[in-house]
Amino acid sequence: MRSTVSFMLSHSGEQLAMSHPDYDQTTFHHGCLLVLLRGIGPSKPRSLQRIFEKVRRINNVKIIDSSGNTRDIWVRYIHDHPVENNDWGDFQTHRRLLGLITIGKFENQVELNELCRLHESLKVKYSNTLYDSRSILFGPTEVEKLEEEFKPPDNFKTRAFFYKENDSCGDLDGHITEFANSLFYILESKRLERSREKVDKFSLLQAPFEKRDFVGLDLESRNNKKRCVGRVTKNLADLTLQSGLIADSLNLYQAASETLSAINDSLWYGAAQEGLCAVSSILLYPHLRETEIFHRNASLQPTPMSSSSSSVSSILNSSSTSSLSNSANSNTSNLPTNSLHPDDIPQFYRKAIINYSKYSHAGIIETEAALKAARICVEQSKNLDVCMFLQNILFINVNMTELERIKRFEVLTEIYEQIGYKRKAAFCRRLAAWKYVYKGIPIPDWPKSYKLMLDSFPGYLLSLDPLEVIDNNAGWPTLQIDLLNSLISAANRIGHSHSALATRHMTFLLQTQWDNMSLSDQKERALQLQGLSSQCEGSPVPLVLENGIVIPPSNLTDIPYCLQIQVMDLENYMRPHKILLNKNDSGPFIFTPIHNYSSIDRREKARSKDTKVDFYWVQNDMCTVTIKLKNNLPFELTVSDMRLLTNGIVFEALPSTVVVHPSAPTTVKLHGTPLEVGALEIQGFSTHTLGVKSNCRLKHMKNRKFPNSYIVEVIPALPKLLAQTTLEIPPMDLLRMPGAIADNIICGAYISLYNGESSECMVTLRNESQIPVEHLDISMTSNVDNELVKKIIQYNESEIQAHLPIQPNTEIQFKVNIFAEADFLCPLQVISGPQSLGFSTISSGHASLPSRMSSPIPKRGGELSSSFRSTNSSSLNYPNSHQSTGNPNAHVVDAFIKIRYSGGEAMTAGYCRQCTIRFNLELLPSAQVTTWDVLPAETASQFYLVIDVSNLTSQEMTLNYTENKNILIEAQESCRVPIPVDRCEVDESVLQRSDELVENENGIYTPPPSLQEVTANACSVHIAERVKLNWMLAGSENHGIASLKGITLTSAMMDLIAVSPLQWVVSFDNTPVQPQSEVVCKVGQSLNLSVCVTNQSLTPLKQLSLTVQFYQDFLNGMQTYNLETRVTMSGSNQTIIPVLEKDKSASHECAIVFFTPGRFKANIQCKSLAASTTKPLPNGHINFQIPQPGGLSNAMSYHEMQSHLWKFIPPIELTVLE
Amino acid sequence: MFPLLSHRNHSNMATCIAIIGKDNTPLYLAISDMDKELDLQYRVHAALDVIEEKCSSSTKMNIESKELYLGLLYSTDNQKIYGYITNTKVKFIVVVDSGNVALKESEIRTMFRNLHILYTDAICNPLFSPGEPITSKKFDKCVRNILERQ
Repeated sequence: MRSTVSFMLSHSGEQLAMSHPDYDQTTFHHGCLLVLLRGIGPSKPRSLQRIFEKVRRINNVKIIDSSGNTRDIWVRYIHDHPVENNDWGDFQTHRRLLGLITIGKFENQVELNELCRLHESLKVKYSNTLYDSRSILFGPTEVEKLEEEFKPPDNFKTRAFFYKENDSCGDLDGHITEFANSLFYILESKRLERSREKVDKFSLLQAPFEKRDFVGLDLESRNNKKRCVGRVTKNLADLTLQSGLIADSLNLYQAASETLSAINDSLWYGAAQEGLCAVSSILLYPHLRETEIFHRNASLQPTPMSSSSSSVSSILNSSSTSSLSNSANSNTSNLPTNSLHPDDIPQFYRKAIINYSKYSHAGIIETEAALKAARICVEQSKNLDVCMFLQNILFINVNMTELERIKRFEVLTEIYEQIGYKRKAAFCRRLAAWKYVYKGIPIPDWPKSYKLMLDSFPGYLLSLDPLEVIDNNAGWPTLQIDLLNSLISAANRIGHSHSALATRHMTFLLQTQWDNMSLSDQKERALQLQGLSSQCEGSPVPLVLENGIVIPPSNLTDIPYCLQIQVMDLENYMRPHKILLNKNDSGPFIFTPIHNYSSIDRREKARSKDTKVDFYWVQNDMCTVTIKLKNNLPFELTVSDMRLLTNGIVFEALPSTVVVHPSAPTTVKLHGTPLEVGALEIQGFSTHTLGVKSNCRLKHMKNRKFPNSYIVEVIPALPKLLAQTTLEIPPMDLLRMPGAIADNIICGAYISLYNGESSECMVTLRNESQIPVEHLDISMTSNVDNELVKKIIQYNESEIQAHLPIQPNTEIQFKVNIFAEADFLCPLQVISGPQSLGFSTISSGHASLPSRMSSPIPKRGGELSSSFRSTNSSSLNYPNSHQSTGNPNAHVVDAFIKIRYSGGEAMTAGYCRQCTIRFNLELLPSAQVTTWDVLPAETASQFYLVIDVSNLTSQEMTLNYTENKNILIEAQESCRVPIPVDRCEVDESVLQRSDELVENENGIYTPPPSLQEVTANACSVHIAERVKLNWMLAGSENHGIASLKGITLTSAMMDLIAVSPLQWVVSFDNTPVQPQSEVVCKVGQSLNLSVCVTNQSLTPLKQLSLTVQFYQDFLNGMQTYNLETRVTMSGSNQTIIPVLEKDKSASHECAIVFFTPGRFKANIQCKSLAASTTKPLPNGHINFQIPQPGGLSNAMSYHEMQSHLWKFIPPIELTVLE
Repeated sequence: MFPLLSHRNHSNMATCIAIIGKDNTPLYLAISDMDKELDLQYRVHAALDVIEEKCSSSTKMNIESKELYLGLLYSTDNQKIYGYITNTKVKFIVVVDSGNVALKESEIRTMFRNLHILYTDAICNPLFSPGEPITSKKFDKCVRNILERQ
């Protein structure tokens, strides 16, 4: 647009050009009367501000002229007017200052005089153009009549209005209107004067710089005549417009432009064109004149310009655009036909500007015209035209001060903002900011520069709030970084008061632009921040600037970079547990979706992003959050004063300092103590690094899957118990325990015992807290069978309970008895023992043998019921995994005494703590019974239990097996000892009762144990009770007892053990045989043997076969029954007794004759034939594994069910003499 | 400080070629004179206002005949800034030296067309995710060819 043809009529010499641009001008001001509104005097109190407002409000006066038409007169109030601008008054009359209103305040006559003097001097200053003036003077409040008290000096010729300071000035409006009237009439007279001038008398009107161009020119030339006419017409048009005759002025402008274009008077032609635009715009957009006053007022306020003006302009925009079409439509009909079409206005302006541009001295006129054009285009929503006009302004080469240049940029910014060109606006603002501190400026104005840069933030999609910037993640990083850098340096240059800002902005830069910076930049900025913060430490509080702008806090959330955060549960033994109360009856439904775990609930939880941790923290107990940090900077980063940021209940966070190395991530533990009960929200942590305090909240950490916060429930304070044992194990060993059990072990005891040995241990519980322990609950678990562990470890719970409550800082003690319970019947190797031990334990199928472990429990199957008693209850099922490494045969028992305790408020709330004392026992084998058998004793009331005892220790063992019999067993050696034991009286009533169904505790029906088993059990218990093997190890104090609990017995053994149901009376020749006695007889003598048996048992015995047999015992294990040549019997040696009722006797008699002398023995025995056993085995061993139909077993008595063999004990010895 | 009015005559075809994404973030920038990088970036950034304006006004007028070439966005003392917009609202901006009077508008149009072809080729790379800055070396080389062609 700008023509390169320029300087046609101008000289670049002396500066005559108007050098004070008025950027606020609009096209409407062409029709305004210019009035200077000036406060004078030394004091300009704020109270006078309202007077200024009051005056300014009267900017439109309707005046009825002489011909009765209403003239719409507009007044434009300005507060400053360079007198040079009046020089352009001929060119455009609205530039002339026509009126003067001064406002002043005085306290006394002297001050009044001074005010008057000032007013007069202003009058003199503008005397060339001034039509009229007024002075509004405020006197002291206490004086009643101002005008009488104070008199202005005589030379004061102005009309002055006196008010008291607090006066409402009700008549001021009238005065101002009157003043406007006065101005109008003078103007009107000038207009009339001008309009009546004769054409030939026209003088040449000139722009200031033209003065010399026309010197010596022939003014009478036709061209110049036309020039005169054109210029005067244009001048008249200006006056006409000002005096409210808009339609007339339009005609005049049109005429002037025609005249001036004809003679190529570009400058004035341009002015005429601009005039046309002005009139047209006044006609097209009358509403703008009205709204303009508010706009102006707003901009005069000492409020920040950008905010208020933009808001007003936005209202203006919206209202105007909507009204544009309306007004255009409605007005076009009323408009004069020669008025410009709205679309033509920019065109005309463009032409006018091109014309102006030909004159370098008219730069300011051009600038102002462009601004006016731009404003009209804003109204027309022709943004591209606005842009074009504004862009043009920058081309205009005007000689002006830097401050005016800056102002120009600010005005551009304002208009760009109006049309929503944020980026352009920001760019201009940025330029203005640069200009303020440009080298050419004598005193760089850093604060202004700073403010402008801050204002340009939105244009670069920056916000003062770093979080917003990070969220948006938009804009041009390069530009943003540059702007921030400049902002930081500006803030730094302003001085000490702004060093906090410099720190803040640098923090902001690091926080928001981290990803957009190179590594070296990051390092450099970080070091710069360190430098800045050394002057003023950064802290996360909003900073408020003088103009009210709040700079939100900036936090270095990612320096150091948090990789992981974990809210830690309390140490296991400190963890609170719910005290299990009796379960509330929640109805027959185990699960209901309506209650706690509804899916709706879960979805809400996910949405809220707050993670509720599933454990509790305890009031007054220190808790921990673990944070893993990474340092993205290439140098060591010291983070001090790091603590947790929490919300909710009072929380005492402990600071910690950590040095984060650039290479490896560092884990830091942050501690704190909740001081209240309730929900604690952990929002993040605070740091102090690079001299900046930051609040790093989880929700602000991007690109990591952190919840917004963690919520921990804090429960009332709990007591804390510490425990000690007299058999302490080192803590290292405690930790070796796997799994959850290990965690809450607070102390332990270790002891190594030989099987059967006993020991004791004292446990001390100390209350370390300030809360008494009121509730204590002790239970025990272990890696072995529950029943067994109760035998091994014993404590008296009631004794402990009696100590309660444990007061703060006191302790209680209790005793734990430890007994190395073991099964001593465990065979270690296959003993191919002497034949006489007919029963080896291998066939007893002991449960500790692996092959038998998986065998079905004999109780279950009826067919196995007769085999042997279950070894379950007494056997020691030690898990193999706990075999100690030291001794392969040692068993390790790990028992845990679990203590649950509580007290105080927490107890009422239903919480307790749980700690565990670990008892680690190593049970070493001592004595072991490998094989056993039962032999008849010398008397019928006793039998011999013959056992093989092995010493499994590595020491010599003294075994005391009866009251006064000891035996020494070498290490790893075995010995056989006989132990006399009284026979066992099996209580048959017990046997009877056992027929009834047995229901075990689980309510599952199990078939009753067979009679055989019950008997075996009874016998076994009988033996275990009576036989105690006391062992003592030589060389040490270790001693213990080996019991035979759980010994398994065959039925043959049981016949020996149990008291026989038969009472025997054996007589030779009617002499009853005494036990241990010997019967002596002669060869050939006939001996009469009578055997009488009586059933002592409760049940009848059936199918008894009584036999008498003689044999010779060689006492070397050899016996011979082949005695046909030595003895003979008369009568049967065997008789069958079909039924032997209870308490009934049966007898059998026969006669014996010995043929040879010698020692004989008589074996008298009674065999009951089992019901189904047709053939008893001849060797005396009873095959007990013959299956029997299970259904019959209950119907038969014990003695019927099984073949039994009862002998007359001891065998009768007969000595046969010659 | 900002070299607002510094003037140097370049023999290059253009001084700057910029590709700006749909959301007005820079995708690619080629600048012949790296000293003026910041200056040019500011100007290119400011040109976006005009592009937005032109696009919004053009959509109002006729959607049918879509002219991708936006013409001169604005000119400063020493630079002329031209714009071009693809159908996916990716903007190409070319800054040429005002001193280069010989440059015809048709040449600028050709430059934009070539640029569009290059851009299309570059984003056809299956590994390229749209909206990310273009880092292809080949693309850069070709664009610099355009930039420096006499």
